Amino acid sequence: MSSTQMIPRQAADAAATERRGRGRQLHEGRTALWFLAPFLLFYLLFIIGPAIYGLVMSFTHASLVKSGLNGWAGLANYTEALQSSDFWSSLWHTIWFTILTTPPLIAIALGLALLADRAGRGRWFYRLAFFAPYVLPSAVVALIWMWLYTPSLGLLDTTLTKIGITPPNWLGSESFAMWSLAITTVWWTLGFNFVLYLAGLQDIPRELYEAAAIDGAGPWQQIRTITIPMLGRTTTLVAVLQVIASLKVFDQMYLMTSGGPNFATRSILEYIYDEGFTNFRVGYASALSTLFFIVVLIVSAGWFAIVRRQEKEV
Amino acid sequence: MTGVPATPGGPSAHSLSRRSFLRGLTAAAGLTLGGAALSACSTPVVSGLGVSRKAAGSLDYWNLFGGGDGVRMETMEAGFEKANPNIALSAVTLAWGNPYYTKLSLATLGEKPPGVAVSHLTRMKNLVAADLLEELRAEDLARFGLTRDKFSDRPWEAGLVDGKVYAIPLDTHPFVMFYNTDLCKKAGLLDSDGKLKPMDSPEAFKAALTKGKQASGKYGAVVAVTNEPATPWRTFWSFYSQLGGEWLADKGARVTIDDAKAMQVLTFLQSLSKEGLIPSIADYQGTIATFASGGSAFYFQGEWEITTFQTAKLPFSMTLFPNVFGGGRYAVQADSHTLVIPKQADRSPAVIDRGLTFIRSMLDQSKTWAEGGHVPAWKPFLESDEYKKMTPQSQYAAAADSAAYDPEAWYSGSGSNLEIICGSSIGAMVMGQLTPQAALDQMHTKLDVLAATKSPI
Amino acid sequence: MTTSVLDRPRARAAGTTVRQVDSRTRLFNGICIGVLIAFALLWLIPLAWAIDTSLKPNSETVKTTWWIDNPTIAAYTNTLQNTDMLKWYGASFITSALTALFTVITASMAAYALSRMRFRYKNVVFWFILAGIMIPGQVLIVPQFREFSSVGLLNTFWAVIFPQVPTAIAVFIFKQFFDGLPRDLDEAARIDGAGAFRIYRTVILPLTRPALAAVAIFTFVFSWNHLLWPLLVLTNPDLMTIPVGLATVQGSFGIRYADTMASAILGALPLIAVFLLFQRNIVEGIAGTGLKG
Repeated sequence: MSSTQMIPRQAADAAATERRGRGRQLHEGRTALWFLAPFLLFYLLFIIGPAIYGLVMSFTHASLVKSGLNGWAGLANYTEALQSSDFWSSLWHTIWFTILTTPPLIAIALGLALLADRAGRGRWFYRLAFFAPYVLPSAVVALIWMWLYTPSLGLLDTTLTKIGITPPNWLGSESFAMWSLAITTVWWTLGFNFVLYLAGLQDIPRELYEAAAIDGAGPWQQIRTITIPMLGRTTTLVAVLQVIASLKVFDQMYLMTSGGPNFATRSILEYIYDEGFTNFRVGYASALSTLFFIVVLIVSAGWFAIVRRQEKEV
Repeated sequence: MTGVPATPGGPSAHSLSRRSFLRGLTAAAGLTLGGAALSACSTPVVSGLGVSRKAAGSLDYWNLFGGGDGVRMETMEAGFEKANPNIALSAVTLAWGNPYYTKLSLATLGEKPPGVAVSHLTRMKNLVAADLLEELRAEDLARFGLTRDKFSDRPWEAGLVDGKVYAIPLDTHPFVMFYNTDLCKKAGLLDSDGKLKPMDSPEAFKAALTKGKQASGKYGAVVAVTNEPATPWRTFWSFYSQLGGEWLADKGARVTIDDAKAMQVLTFLQSLSKEGLIPSIADYQGTIATFASGGSAFYFQGEWEITTFQTAKLPFSMTLFPNVFGGGRYAVQADSHTLVIPKQADRSPAVIDRGLTFIRSMLDQSKTWAEGGHVPAWKPFLESDEYKKMTPQSQYAAAADSAAYDPEAWYSGSGSNLEIICGSSIGAMVMGQLTPQAALDQMHTKLDVLAATKSPI
Repeated sequence: MTTSVLDRPRARAAGTTVRQVDSRTRLFNGICIGVLIAFALLWLIPLAWAIDTSLKPNSETVKTTWWIDNPTIAAYTNTLQNTDMLKWYGASFITSALTALFTVITASMAAYALSRMRFRYKNVVFWFILAGIMIPGQVLIVPQFREFSSVGLLNTFWAVIFPQVPTAIAVFIFKQFFDGLPRDLDEAARIDGAGAFRIYRTVILPLTRPALAAVAIFTFVFSWNHLLWPLLVLTNPDLMTIPVGLATVQGSFGIRYADTMASAILGALPLIAVFLLFQRNIVEGIAGTGLKG
């Protein structure tokens, strides 16, 4: 067969393939729709729809016990929120909670992971001990820790008194209550970060350590110069997940202090709950939710920027 | 999940058997428990998946009574069940305060409310305004003998909304004065009958407390102010109402505090802790412990703590909260527990009647309830000799007639934001953290915000 | 004459640690393990104390000691009789299982379309879905409540399940996974005449088992532990999930601490069991997140 004869044949084949391709493309469009439909249905009905509805409600005086939108409010809800000391203090409580929990949840998890990595054997025991709390529902954690924090009768009070320390008023002191909630939260969620770090540690090639050891580096030096830098990305991930999760905190406050004493531990989400469902003011609560969303968005955007920068460095 | 399909190399035979053993064990346990669970919940599963099927002839009852009251209520529920074996009663106790009312409201909105529920009188009005309660019509009430004449005037009248009945009062629970009879005798505060001499003026009050302090060696009186907004509010509201002051108007849209009267009460309260007559730091349980151990001659709280001290075998009695400022007009803070029927999805007479049967049964057992210290609203028992013989309960029954209920507003009522805001400010002042003027200013500022907010109901 | 430690030959099997006879390192290791064990024991105390308390009679709980004078399981029988715990088990199981099922099905199907198919606006759809990751569910509780209230679906399991199903992150995870699968398998099946759904079912899904398992288990666990939303929509004690049930009756135990702890332990059991059974999947799932990040 001469090459000149092959070319038209190839061209014809190519054209046919392309036609089939386009046909498949159109055909795939419909199939794709079928595959996407279930998810998109749920997504539109239960995420996008409510998001838009919530935004609309935020400009009204909607009430939980009245149907309809109950009157246009314009920006009144937003101005009320931004001028409300309750809003700002609940935001501050949330941030304070984040500040109290994030460093320990990173540092302690990393420290324990380093130790567990070194330990080698018995890792299943450490994983069980630290991670088991993570799978517990918040209600169980709350019951257990409220019993631990019970004045006079609780384990913590009696142990501290026995060794001569006056126990603080765990959940009843306006200044200390958040610390108690933070301690409970660290116990509850440390396991997740622990596992994350352990996995990250196991990814660091042993040769690096051995090389450093040969060069005379002690264990602490090895950690400082090899381990921690190599865990940079894991730490960023842990930190961001931690911060974003802390912003959304609700369970601990609701169950253990009801946002008290005197609203001292009320988080922003609990404030939204109180305003929307206890006070029935869903219009105002929708405005609060939108503001809350903006805060989360800013933090997430910050993460995105940091991760982008880290990726560029790598 | 790294993009590379994970192909586990296959667990060794060893761990396979260990893992499958563990699996089998957990599965067996799970099946047993799961079987029990599913058999217990076949009806809820059905109703949970949308096919509503409520067991015929059943009654759900929600209340917020824990502690001693909870135990008493359980006794009364048992009494109801015994007398009405054809109604399956399912009682649930929820946490006191805002959580209870939020849940009750959400349940009613979710069209699965309980058939009958407890509500404080001060909160019931907001529930009515939110259209969450059934109106109790006279004909229905009459069939169960729940007529106007059978109830004390004050709680009944206070519970009417536009002349209509939405709640049946069970009791009034006023703020009262407990006193240690031994210590008061030692201090010479009892008269010849062994009853407490009246303390009808600020001077008499302070004098009595001073003598009580000398007798006890610690405090004249204890009243909870730490981590406890309700008690400081109730103390303040009692004195303030004796002075005849107003607080809110237009269902909470206007703040009408009489600053002079408020300052009078606030400075008086602060002087008590400044002069060491009452402790400046004392939480709810702490005050109970102090009084029960003879650390103070007087104790101010709601009457419901009566059982605590009876159990502790303390020599004590109870009487009306002192009329320090009232002169001829007596007033004391109180609220009433009422029984209400939330708006039902199914409004059939049978459903309403079951609720009313329960209500009548509770009233008939007023004696049990009164043993918990509450002042019955049910006249057939209130005016009986049996009640009059109950001491110390009958000694403060008059408080119900002079009950000063919390001011009306959508943000007010027992356990409400009003109570928390005002009570915390007053408590902080007694603890020495705020001056009386600062406390008053704080209440003004926060209440102004609430008053300016458009009511959601 | 001893050879200096630095001159020792380097050849040794991978994974073995440098066996330095350095006493400093040994001491360091010893301290490490000591600290680790101490922390692990510390972490186990709250649960252990809860179990200890639950095995005491209520009256004995005021004695704060580990030793139990009269061990009894009365607290457990009390709790099972006086609360709707068994009903809550059922509710939790049903809602979590159905949520996991629907999530896995819808997300994997959507991810398959995004990964394998070409169509117009594919990028738009992808970013549209990804944007959902930015919206935390908690922001939507108010409008979602209104939504379910208006169609009368409050106090049903559907109200709990539906809002949890559209999980953008699950789509993302599946898509990542699918992107990593070689396309030859698809092509081979297509040449054999299989339609997209057939390929999806018979070729792709079996290979996706690890991701399916991980997403299913994570969704199950997170759905089980969900509090805020079920708290709002499930006000009928018959229908409550375990977290909601425990939260609702928490005040009514009063000073019956043994009963309270028994209810807590009963509430914890199912998920501890899930954890023990699926430890590997869970841990690998988390590790995968880290590597992906």
